[in-house]
Amino acid sequence: MTGKKLLSVRNLEITFRTEGEDIPVVRDLSFDLDHGDTLGIVGESGCGKSITALSLLGLVPSPPGRISKGQILFEGEDLVQAGERRLNQVRGNDISMVFQEPMTSLNPVYTIGEQIAETARVHFGLSPAKAWARAVEMLDLVGIPSPDTRAHDFPHQLSGGMRQRVMIAIALVCEPKLLIADEPTTALDVTVQAQVFDLFQELKQKIGAAIILITHDIGVVAQMTNRVMVMYAGRKIEEGPVAEFIRDPRHPYTRGLVSCIPRLRLPPDDHPAPLFEIPGVVPSPWELNRPGCAFAPRCARAMARCRTENPVLAPLGDGRAAACWLETEAAA
Amino acid sequence: MLKGSLRKLLNALLLMIAVLVLNFTLIHIAPGDPVEALVGEMGGATPELIAELRSRFGLDQPLYVQLGTYLGRIAQGDFGHSLYYDQPVTALIAERIGPTILLVTTALFSAIALGTVLGVFSAQRRRSVLSHLVTVISLAGFSAPVFWVGIMLILLLSVSVPLLPISGMSSADSAASGLFYILDVLHHLVLPALTLALIYLAFYSRLSRASMLEVLGSDYIRTARAKGLPKRMVIYKHALRNAILPVVTFAGLQFGQVISGAVLVETVFAWPGLGTLAFESILRRDTPTLLGILFFSAVMVVVMNLVTDVVYRRVDPRIKAR
Repeated sequence: MTGKKLLSVRNLEITFRTEGEDIPVVRDLSFDLDHGDTLGIVGESGCGKSITALSLLGLVPSPPGRISKGQILFEGEDLVQAGERRLNQVRGNDISMVFQEPMTSLNPVYTIGEQIAETARVHFGLSPAKAWARAVEMLDLVGIPSPDTRAHDFPHQLSGGMRQRVMIAIALVCEPKLLIADEPTTALDVTVQAQVFDLFQELKQKIGAAIILITHDIGVVAQMTNRVMVMYAGRKIEEGPVAEFIRDPRHPYTRGLVSCIPRLRLPPDDHPAPLFEIPGVVPSPWELNRPGCAFAPRCARAMARCRTENPVLAPLGDGRAAACWLETEAAA
Repeated sequence: MLKGSLRKLLNALLLMIAVLVLNFTLIHIAPGDPVEALVGEMGGATPELIAELRSRFGLDQPLYVQLGTYLGRIAQGDFGHSLYYDQPVTALIAERIGPTILLVTTALFSAIALGTVLGVFSAQRRRSVLSHLVTVISLAGFSAPVFWVGIMLILLLSVSVPLLPISGMSSADSAASGLFYILDVLHHLVLPALTLALIYLAFYSRLSRASMLEVLGSDYIRTARAKGLPKRMVIYKHALRNAILPVVTFAGLQFGQVISGAVLVETVFAWPGLGTLAFESILRRDTPTLLGILFFSAVMVVVMNLVTDVVYRRVDPRIKAR
């Protein structure tokens, strides 16, 4: 290793062209990831977390979307500048991705064995027989019983949980350095979710790939990752190690998120309180051209300054940072 | 599986009987009968002769008796005699089916091949000139009546620029044989096939474009791209195989409807196929011939539906499981 970061995203801006106007959906986003590190990206629907993930693979749907600013440095190489040919070498090989919808993410007309094997053929130049053997091996690794016969199955013959295992097998077949999982269990039953996360935990040890886990479930982040990054309306608003983050969230939005987690065990003398919810809704990207903090309209502690100036990301020590004027002023 | 196939065959058989009864009834409900047409062509006849002709063809019997006799004959494979050509209907159809199949398969297959290619390309570049061109062509092809397209092509390629023969399947004066005969037929084939193909092309380019657009937006195409597959693999392996499914369905259905599709084109170009025969039999009230053709085309539809079913099973693994 050259000592370079595995991934370093710098001032990323992604815009979507709507009615002749470029609307930013991700703004000024920077984050780093080391080899073998695990990062959780948390946020509500529409906060830009999925599109950020797609941008790492050069898969922002274009048009209407495009990366309008910034760099995505993967082992020092800027993927924003890379051509389609180079990106195809990286995709599925160095960086791979597991999507949210296992029911529709597999091609219905090819066997699952073929869908795993073709990736190995394309990237490793394996012979069809060797690639097939590798596919069977991967199915075994992700816990599919009797993999040599199941490899001949078509996606419709598998349950949602099994299909997601196949997606994971596809993602891991080339031993990527970075695995992005975009809400990998959202579409699954709760019991199956637990199984899939167990599989992730187990594989994390075996393959040593860095993982970016995108979710809206803080519980999952606590269980799966070392570090967490919270996004709101296209910006990073808080970042830090998971344990500190859960114990002491700083940004009012993150505090809200953490208090939204239902607790099963209450102290004996405590009365069960209604579950907290954050009032209001996420602003749409169109509303974000006005000045000020995007969260201010929903924030109980918003000050005059919050409505006029966008808060800067302030370091809080221990690798933590939050974008909130309250923090900045408390530090001053 | 076997039980399912058996049920399908039984269904097809019942359908055929229903078609026979319906066709027969419909034609006999329509005003005018073959004897009137015949007498008309003869330039008139005595009432005695008319009565005699009626009784010879069995037309003086009540309708249900006629129907019974007809069905009984069909069961024995006898489709009757043409009232005009004085030939067995089966022989007539056998003689005319070749040209129709030649015309329709040429038109349909070239339209499917070219239409799919156009659709696939234009779906990939939605804003390109080619894509807009495909939309315009398919809209025009959809809207223009087939006989008008035929006449326009005649004006263009036979009258203004005398490249191609206007009608028939071979040159009347030529005694050509072997290779020259084949070339002569092909030469005559160009215009009618082109006319028919343009109509089909409009349909298939539109169908495959829409289907391809839908597939390209699907999650599994995103997966294929995220795997780092080269573009040609994403398009031709992952997208096309799925996008082709509706094309297969419609190709099967349309091939079953060869005759109805070809009637107008064959008439415009005097192509000696089943379409022309059907058209003539209607004018001449040649009921047995018309019924024979209708029955034959119904059989074609049913058979092609069964074939489509089989092909579909091969292309789409999801069907097999059911």
